[in-house]
Amino acid sequence: MKIEISKLEFTYPGGVQALRGVSLEIEPGEQVAIVGQNGAGKTTLAKHLNGLLKPTSGSIHIGDWDTREQSVSKLAQRVGYVFQNPDEQLFSKDVGTEVAFGPRNLGFSGEQVQGLVNDALMLTELSDKTDTNPYDLSPTWRKMVAIASVIAMDTEIVIFDEPTTGQDAANIARIANVIKVLRERGKTVITITHDIDFCAENFERVIAMSQGKILLDGKANDVLGEEEILATTYVDPPQLTRLGKRLGFKETVRNEKEFLAILTKQGHG
Amino acid sequence: MPDRLSFYLKKNSIIHALNPFTKLTLVFAIVTYGLIGAGFWTATILVCLALLPLAFTARLLKEYLGVAVKLILPTAGFMFVMQSIFIPGGTTEIFRLGSISIELETVQRSYLIASRIFLFISAFALLLLTTHPSELMTNLTQRGLPPQFAYVIISTLQIIPQMQAKSLTIIAAQRSRGLDTESSFIKRIGLLVPLVGPLVFGSLVEVEERAIAIEARGFTSTHKKTYLHEVPDTNLDRAIRTILIALIIVAVVWRVWPS
Ligand SMILES: Nc1ncnc2c1ncn2[C@@H]1O[C@H](COP(=O)(O)OP(=O)(O)OP(=O)(O)O)[C@@H](O)[C@H]1O
Ligand SMILES: [Mg+2]
Repeated sequence: MKIEISKLEFTYPGGVQALRGVSLEIEPGEQVAIVGQNGAGKTTLAKHLNGLLKPTSGSIHIGDWDTREQSVSKLAQRVGYVFQNPDEQLFSKDVGTEVAFGPRNLGFSGEQVQGLVNDALMLTELSDKTDTNPYDLSPTWRKMVAIASVIAMDTEIVIFDEPTTGQDAANIARIANVIKVLRERGKTVITITHDIDFCAENFERVIAMSQGKILLDGKANDVLGEEEILATTYVDPPQLTRLGKRLGFKETVRNEKEFLAILTKQGHG
Repeated sequence: MPDRLSFYLKKNSIIHALNPFTKLTLVFAIVTYGLIGAGFWTATILVCLALLPLAFTARLLKEYLGVAVKLILPTAGFMFVMQSIFIPGGTTEIFRLGSISIELETVQRSYLIASRIFLFISAFALLLLTTHPSELMTNLTQRGLPPQFAYVIISTLQIIPQMQAKSLTIIAAQRSRGLDTESSFIKRIGLLVPLVGPLVFGSLVEVEERAIAIEARGFTSTHKKTYLHEVPDTNLDRAIRTILIALIIVAVVWRVWPS
């Protein structure tokens, strides 16, 4: 499902202009990371995609729907949104019921709900915790419950707001795996992140935002190579990318594999 | 959504500048006179001669009158109904509405009670409208109020807007999961669990974290504490307080004096 954002501007009721003309297209099945300094407008942009915020001016289309004309609960059929803090949405007495909440709201049949829940629990490695109370789980596992509860809605588009913040390496790997599987299933994934390594390793397209505008938008290697421009929005490219630059690599590298490949080619390896 | 922390309304006035303790003494004096002066018009006179001019000086006359209308009409009405039901038996009928007769005594009693309640509450309201809560509490702690007590009051005042902000996030999160909040009333009752659940759980977790955080900053330390903010206490304040305390003593002595 294609996302089209056109000349989007948004001002909060308090008067803060958080978005100053954002135009963007995201093709079905794309994996996009959004980076940028605190207050750049990333969350504000993401909240427009599922209708939580409506544009002050400009427009957003999710497939053939204009978000201004649809309610949030309707848009939930197309866009799933994983909030940063799982504690702001978990309420059920066990993980299974919690994860079933979304698909039930969307009106799937009992059998379908069961299938979706099982699949989401498997994907997030929660299958053995179906009957546990979410509040008896550690914060990292609660995060996975929140992710599962959105995956189970089986939306074409999934948004993650800072999924890796406060997570250990094992859980970051789990989240990366979820994103990989979603890509294989042809879903569109949009992730807001301050974790530049996570961004470099899991996303093909990167958008850098600053002060309510898009600063850079393109292939991960191209965007992450723009060290000076990224610095203006307080984003440091990954260490390997910077090391590659210092070593005089002509191409921008963003992970071990690319880095080693160039070293080998140059005969240093 | 109200984004104010409390009742406090910042204005530039003499009343705002007074030391919180002075204003508290003033409230205390008004309450004393309201309780001791048994006359029918005592409360009304105190409102007109003390509170209204104070509200005017504090540039809050409009807000004060707003509170007055919102508070006194319902209280008086409520009192009137209760009085009519439980203490009937007036003799002077003012007028008759079908089979219901409205009696002067009932009206008077309701007015008396309502005007007193109004006097007490609005005196406190004026204190809260003109005094920043943390200034009040800092000042009272400096004067020997246990800090635990001040903390309970301040955090209660702060928790309300925080809970509001939090409930907005929770509503947003559940709507994103397809919860239809614009649905019928019956369905709305079902909404309570997904909305209130996270609010309560989250708040419980927060209370614990907060307790640890303030403890880590030496909240229960027995050393003498210093204050970042000095709340000014002027000669004028002291003078006003002396007069007020004298007035309170006079009232009490006059009342208990065997006559
Ligand atoms: N509810 C709100 N009311 C008023 N202003 C807001 C609100 N939420 C965000 N803002 C302001 O809008 C701007 C953009 O905020 P936004 O949350 O979109 O930034 P962000 O890029 O997600 O930042 P972060 O990395 O800190 O999450 C900021 O200046 C912020 O202070
Ligand atoms: Mg954000």
